[in-house]
Amino acid sequence: MTNRSVPTTGDLVAGALKGRRLDVGGFVLVVGLLLALLISMIVLVTLIADMIQQGLPVLAERGWAFVSTPLSPDAHDAGIVQGIMGSLGLMLFVVVIAFPVGVASAIYLEEYAPDTRLTRFIVANVRNLAGVPSIVYGLLGLAIFVKLLGGITGGRTLISGGLTLAILVLPIMIITASEALRAVPMAIREAAFGVGATRWEVIRYQVLPVATPAILTGTVLTIARAFGESAPLLLSGAVLSLFFASPSGATLWDFVAHEKYTALPIIVFNWARQPQKEFVALTAAAIVVLLAILLLVNATAIVLRDRFERRT
Amino acid sequence: MNRIDAQPTSGASDTDRPLVFDVQGLNVFYGDFHAVRDVELPVRQNEITALIGPSGCGKSTVLRSLNRMNDLIPDARVEGQVAYHGVDLYGPEVDPVQVRRHIGMVFQKPNPFPKSIYDNVAFGPKIAGVRSGLDDVVEDSLKRAALWDEVKGKLSESAYALSGGQQQRLCIARAIATRPDVILMDEPASALDPIATLRIEELMFELKEDYTIVVVTHNMQQAARVSDRTAFFTVEVGEDGTRTGVLVEFGDTSTMFTNPSRKETEDYITGRFG
Amino acid sequence: MIETRKRFHQQLAELEQLVVDMGEQALEQVVTAVDALTSGDMAKADRVIESDNSLDDKYLEAHRRWLAIAAEQQPVAIDLRMMSVVLHVTVTLERMGDQAVNIAKIAKAVEGLPTNDKMLGHIREMGEYVKPIVRTALEAFVRRDADLARELPVMDDPIDDLNRQMYEDVIGCCNDRPHLEWATRMLMVARALERVGDQAVDIGEQVAFLLTGEFQEFTSYPGHDPEHDAKI
Repeated sequence: MTNRSVPTTGDLVAGALKGRRLDVGGFVLVVGLLLALLISMIVLVTLIADMIQQGLPVLAERGWAFVSTPLSPDAHDAGIVQGIMGSLGLMLFVVVIAFPVGVASAIYLEEYAPDTRLTRFIVANVRNLAGVPSIVYGLLGLAIFVKLLGGITGGRTLISGGLTLAILVLPIMIITASEALRAVPMAIREAAFGVGATRWEVIRYQVLPVATPAILTGTVLTIARAFGESAPLLLSGAVLSLFFASPSGATLWDFVAHEKYTALPIIVFNWARQPQKEFVALTAAAIVVLLAILLLVNATAIVLRDRFERRT
Repeated sequence: MNRIDAQPTSGASDTDRPLVFDVQGLNVFYGDFHAVRDVELPVRQNEITALIGPSGCGKSTVLRSLNRMNDLIPDARVEGQVAYHGVDLYGPEVDPVQVRRHIGMVFQKPNPFPKSIYDNVAFGPKIAGVRSGLDDVVEDSLKRAALWDEVKGKLSESAYALSGGQQQRLCIARAIATRPDVILMDEPASALDPIATLRIEELMFELKEDYTIVVVTHNMQQAARVSDRTAFFTVEVGEDGTRTGVLVEFGDTSTMFTNPSRKETEDYITGRFG
Repeated sequence: MIETRKRFHQQLAELEQLVVDMGEQALEQVVTAVDALTSGDMAKADRVIESDNSLDDKYLEAHRRWLAIAAEQQPVAIDLRMMSVVLHVTVTLERMGDQAVNIAKIAKAVEGLPTNDKMLGHIREMGEYVKPIVRTALEAFVRRDADLARELPVMDDPIDDLNRQMYEDVIGCCNDRPHLEWATRMLMVARALERVGDQAVDIGEQVAFLLTGEFQEFTSYPGHDPEHDAKI
């Protein structure tokens, strides 16, 4: 007779459940993913740290004057006020044109358009347009707004630049708004139809309020995208000069109506091309300002979204 | 027994109340798909009519053809006649928006608007042009939906703060607020817990004093508990594998659940065949 | 297409089997009781009285299961009718068993009393009629045979006739107390057997209800037996 003890059910269960198996493949994958993330983060942080390190002395020395004085060939006097005003003016165009047209297009495509081959063709092309390089839009702006419609836009003006940027972001605007509308649950539409709402009433009172946070967030992010664009502006008339006349104490409208304008990314581009050593620091400082503004815009988007989401 | 071969009426004493809906030869198509075929369905005033049957038998499709909700589905096509108090709902001059004000609907999952309790109920009357007395309409509707006592102090709070059962009663109040005479319910309790389900059933029973109710349900016991008449649908699989919903039997609920005339009905409700 | 409520239908089939078992036992008790009476075998009479306890146990067990099924499965349609039939038939069979006990007790009570061959012959004859009618009722139930069930009232007629005959026999039989006592007791036995016949017809009515969903009273011809009619 052997004296082996019979294992209890508890022992068997413990044997089956305990003992961790080493999942090598999974471990390698996680490390790889983390590494990929780290690489991109390191590059970004290095770039930003470099910019801040180079640009900080200028910002510290010049302070508010850097953002409030006009351009100058003299590196010690050069400011970026025209760039900021120009960029703000451009954004105004983007908001005023791209937002309503984009949202309206999205409402049509999502809520009204019948699901035909034509509609699908249009939707596919809107998506394609969003991927067209911005320089192509620059050429378009040059051909249409500067040349063809020069009589109305005044040629190489902020109006032409603004229209070009608006056209550039329009597909993105449509896609963002479409996605926001599509995210509204079908159940809400059914509920509204169910109590006898017309299609427009359903959209106006139920769908749009629900989609608004996402649409606004998308709009703000789209504006940020436009804010950083330089290529289309170079072609559609932004001034590439170390110096151009602009009335001191100019208002936004002056920039719109003024023959000449520039934008923040253009200034960065231009300064970066200058051989003088002083301009390296200036470029970095302008980039820091540009980044700060973009950060502010993105933060606004987040705050907006949170505010709206809490309300419902 | 009075049997009509296609769709027998099992012992229904069906001459007492006026007809609200008289569905004749109803066929619904989604594109090429023949969803339901040749449905004859009388719905009588102040009664609860239950539509039961396995998945894909077309009971929801039939329900949605009663207030033209099928119009919202692209390439849905309705043939035959759906007479509502004698008026063909699919007649050329009939406005589906007006139809839905008279024939309210409650859906499978509670779907309140992401707005306040008050605004949820007031939405229907508001778009119908009601300006004065909205407060009374809201209060009355919530009372009829047996929700008033639970929400009277917090009408401006979000409807999403309510429990599932409360949300569904809010949806019923919202449907009532446009003063319809029919309420269609598409599996109104399938997303609710058993207690909330029983409350909805109890409510349906109270509501039939003033409204005519047509309810689609997966829950046969629910149909047996709440309804006066039951229509049993099933799926017919054609030789080419196409599946079409057909009405098998319509009759008094108590007769249907004690002594159905058709074998298909009996097999389905006794669970002898899925 | 699949059977979706297998367990429930299994439970129902088991309950039905219990009902059939009760029927077999009730019939056995009736036959044994008549036998005990006509042969004067007191051991058999005691066995009937003893056996009835287990019939009562089966009855209680059937009810326990019936309640469980009703609570758990919520039967509908033919299943619901089967539940109704089971409830009715178990009560009937339990009472049939009680009639057997009555006869057995009478057998013991009349021990030593003077008998009458003619009446005893009637009782024996009734016993012979009762056996096939109860068996037929059970068979109609098991086989779901409405036509067979409809034969039951005709099978019941001779039992009813013999019961009436018995009444006439007793009235004119005798003047002395012991004979009269025995004869009166025999009237009660005839009455008990007549009840068993009616109970078999009852079961047949239940079978017809199970199959058609409509309740029909079975009579061999209209107005045949007012007592029978009043009972339902």
